[in-house]
Amino acid sequence: MSIVSSRLLSPFASKAAMPTAASTAVPAGRDLRLDFFRGLSLWFIFLDHVPSNIMAWITVRNYGFSDASEIFVFISGYTAAFVYGRVMNERGFVVGAARILKRTWQIYVAFVFLFVFYVAEISYLATRFQNPLYTEESGFFEFLQKPEIILIEALKLRFLPANVDVLPLYIVLMGFFPFVLWPLRRWPNVTLAGSVVLYTVARLLDWNISLYPYDRYWFFNPFCWQLLFVIGGWCALGGVQRIENFLKSRTVLVLSILFLMYAAALQLSWLFPGVTRKLPTWALILPLNKSDLSLFRLFHFLALANIVVRFIPMDAAFLRSSWARPVILCGQNSLEIFCLGVFLSFSAHFFITEISARFHVQMLVSLTGICIMIAVAWLMSWYKNIDRRGGKPPPAQTGLGERTA
Amino acid sequence: MRKRLAAIAICFAGLAAGATPGFAQNCPVSHELVATFAPLPQVHADVTKNKKLNILVVSAAPTQTGAAAGLKSYPYFLELALKERLKNTDVTVFAHSVPRKPIDDVVAALPGLLKERKPDLVIWQTGTVEAIRAMDPDVYGDKLLAGVELILAAKSDVILMNQQYSPRTDYMFDGVPYTDNMRYVAQSKDIALFNRYAIMKYWAETGIFDLSAMRNDGVYEKLHRCLGGLLSDFIVRAGSLPGSLE
Repeated sequence: MSIVSSRLLSPFASKAAMPTAASTAVPAGRDLRLDFFRGLSLWFIFLDHVPSNIMAWITVRNYGFSDASEIFVFISGYTAAFVYGRVMNERGFVVGAARILKRTWQIYVAFVFLFVFYVAEISYLATRFQNPLYTEESGFFEFLQKPEIILIEALKLRFLPANVDVLPLYIVLMGFFPFVLWPLRRWPNVTLAGSVVLYTVARLLDWNISLYPYDRYWFFNPFCWQLLFVIGGWCALGGVQRIENFLKSRTVLVLSILFLMYAAALQLSWLFPGVTRKLPTWALILPLNKSDLSLFRLFHFLALANIVVRFIPMDAAFLRSSWARPVILCGQNSLEIFCLGVFLSFSAHFFITEISARFHVQMLVSLTGICIMIAVAWLMSWYKNIDRRGGKPPPAQTGLGERTA
Repeated sequence: MRKRLAAIAICFAGLAAGATPGFAQNCPVSHELVATFAPLPQVHADVTKNKKLNILVVSAAPTQTGAAAGLKSYPYFLELALKERLKNTDVTVFAHSVPRKPIDDVVAALPGLLKERKPDLVIWQTGTVEAIRAMDPDVYGDKLLAGVELILAAKSDVILMNQQYSPRTDYMFDGVPYTDNMRYVAQSKDIALFNRYAIMKYWAETGIFDLSAMRNDGVYEKLHRCLGGLLSDFIVRAGSLPGSLE
């Protein structure tokens, strides 16, 4: 079912270096593809989050079913399993779990930080926005009449600001991850099957977490999206080896390509009502359910990942070129850059509204945002370097390091 | 040339008289944004046979209810524009709102409204309240489909109209899943979708309208006049009515 390369991490590149799946050995070097594609997904998430941004046209969501969220969640699951799996191997369950929960806490703090900015912006707007053109839209601000409830609900993750939805998902996935990682190392297939069962039951019974206010639910349903996270972890812990022959078969390649082409055609035709009007009913599968991770989206992502890792080897020259460096830097500081991206998309929106909504301004704002993301990512890496040199002797440069999980 | 001069003269005469010639004249849009592929058979039949066109606008907009003449919003300008284009036709536009209520309440109000108004065409403005409340888009799609089926069963045509482009609140809630569901319903029932969001966004991006004002800056009426004019074009083309330019 999973279609991800055997070469995502170097120890898995050859069977000689990776004799047994369960013993997650010390990696020989960093797989820059993980950093590169996570960085790219962060750029896409930023561009997609600036409302009605012309630059969003370059992002992956316009050319198929899945989007940057799938890339982000999968790679996060992959790196989390890889990094903390190694910690659990070397230092036991308790230390591994403690590290994971520390990371979870950091993500929670990041969420609260973004929430404060969000509330500041909308409160300001709510008191001044009286354009008669938008009487219906201003109904949105009604919930601000009960600030004490909003604050408590937000701390309970039951009130979510716009565009941070992926953070609460990440918090929940990481919070439960010790109890997933432990069996995933011992019985990977059984754990994956359990994840599939949870996904299936959640979809059949409509499980999700409810939100305040109104009768609504988490945008990223954690009962469904956990599947992609676990698939990522399963792949990282040697799952790919077990289905290597299947992944490398011509049939899978052809099916993946056909599916990607079908998705691209359908997604693009959606924009031309004159075309889709003539489509037969069975082809009318859009819009897909993103909240519950529709299977069309899941398989689209897996097909995409299969093609990418097949044609971009781990030692691809461009990954070490200077133009790939900015993307990789962003991917290596993913939590900080994700939060920065959300904050920048607030700011970009503000700029577009206050100054000008023209096309060239949108392009300028988008490019500026990406430049800031790169600059901050570079700064983060610099800080980490001096921290590392500061006290203790530098740890051996092994693999992905905790910070990227 | 003579025709063009005549047209200009008529425009000036109209302006001088305080009338409203060429409603959509100062509100250019790109052609694709107002392209329509679905026909309006009931509208066509009633206009050509009975010289009558009865339109019902349904929405959840707080201030949009009653006979169009009493409103200075797009239903009013739509009525004016259609009356001008369809000279010998008895055009009425009536707006009914279920203020700030989600689609369930609008669908519940439909049977009574359809019975009472007997429209040839229902323009269903929807998607804003649902986006604000972040209603499950799939559930929304199902309800919309049920509502559209009610309208079609009552022998009326339907045009769906999506949410406005509101740059100030664009960040707060996402209308795209609701427009996507409208598109799905429009495709599966072969009805038209008037993409108000894309049209207004185009106006903002090309500088035709500044939509970012915090307070009343007079854009409201101009913009609704444009929307009414464009809608009248849309209806005339989709219904293959005598006023059609194509």
